[in-house]
Amino acid sequence: MMETFSQIALQAEGAAPALEPTAAAALAVGLAAFGAGYAERGIGAAAMGAIAEDESLFVNGLILTVLPETLVILALVVVFLV
Amino acid sequence: MSTTAGGSNPEYVTARVRSRRAALFSDEEYRKLIRMGPAEIARFMEESEYETEINALGARHSGVDLIEYALNRNLAKHFDDLLDWAEGRLYDLIARYLRKFDAWNVKTVIRGIYSDTAREEVETDLIRAGEFSGRLLDQLLDAGSIEDVTELLDGTIFAEPLRDAYDEYEESGVLVPLENAVDRAFYEQLIEGLDVNEATQLYHEFLQAEIDFRNVRNALRLARSGADIDPSEYYIEGGRLFSAAELSSLAANPDELVQHLRDSPYGDDLSQALDELETAESLIEFERALEAALLEYSDRLGIVHPLSVAPVISYILAKEREVDNIRAIARGREAGLSEEEIEEELVIL
Repeated sequence: MMETFSQIALQAEGAAPALEPTAAAALAVGLAAFGAGYAERGIGAAAMGAIAEDESLFVNGLILTVLPETLVILALVVVFLV
Repeated sequence: MSTTAGGSNPEYVTARVRSRRAALFSDEEYRKLIRMGPAEIARFMEESEYETEINALGARHSGVDLIEYALNRNLAKHFDDLLDWAEGRLYDLIARYLRKFDAWNVKTVIRGIYSDTAREEVETDLIRAGEFSGRLLDQLLDAGSIEDVTELLDGTIFAEPLRDAYDEYEESGVLVPLENAVDRAFYEQLIEGLDVNEATQLYHEFLQAEIDFRNVRNALRLARSGADIDPSEYYIEGGRLFSAAELSSLAANPDELVQHLRDSPYGDDLSQALDELETAESLIEFERALEAALLEYSDRLGIVHPLSVAPVISYILAKEREVDNIRAIARGREAGLSEEEIEEELVIL
């Protein structure tokens, strides 16, 4: 459906858009991954600190570290929408 | 938060620090320790955090000395770790405070040379927690004269002030000018060049409080001892409580000094201590209250700014208190004080 919309838009303007929908979606996923990476930086550092002091925190640390990864998974939905 | 800039890593350091903070002795354990003799305290420590140090030193020392040296060595180990972990701006902020131990070591070495104490004895009294490398400290221990010490310290914050104070030392033959120079160098670098922004604002205030309390303590001691010394000679710049001139006039009149403190921003935290100071003759109580107030203040900072230098500083203070407390218990038991008397000596929140 998006494609038909954009095709109509294309016909109306008579020129190619600066960014194809798929390219925009790819960018969205990339930015989301960037955000997740930044969030994991702090959490990962703190988790490593906690694990260094008490090894039993390994599982908790791991879980908390990868939680921001959900951002990327949600952003991935965009890819299937376009 | 701006402390994350410049490649510093507050997340890692605060996570480790919070864990170590939780491992400090609790009220419950202090209550147990108060009832023990020196040998029992050493055994209790052997089963705790201090195991490595007690085992390493157990062959050479015994009794209260063993406890004391083990405490110092453990303190040095933990604080060295802090400097190992921290990077960038955070390192700078922590090192500012830990240079306290550099100042302590310099003073110890100078005193050792002055009194011709054997190298080993001076060495056991050093606390290797500051920024000085082990090699520099060894060289300082080997130094034969105070000039040599000054030369070795070239490039550190202490060289210049020591050189300036040296003539005065030669004239008077007492160590006071040199020790003052070292202390002053430490306190002046505390605040100097600290760029104040939202996150370091609180740290700045904390350092100001530290300087203010030091000034108050000096002023009170001078006032109480009745010595004919100009308090402004001992005045340390950078606090927000008083200027040098104010301090001189207030030190002459303890009642006014107390009133001045009551009206200051620290008034609330110190009100109880100030009441006691007005009634009691002893300064010891008041000094302990100052320490407790500083500790409480730093704790609050750690909660307001979880990802800054504040939790680290609050840990450093708490650890210092723990070491002081255990030492007070051990020395108190050795001197035969009662449990109540020892309990009064402790700073527990």
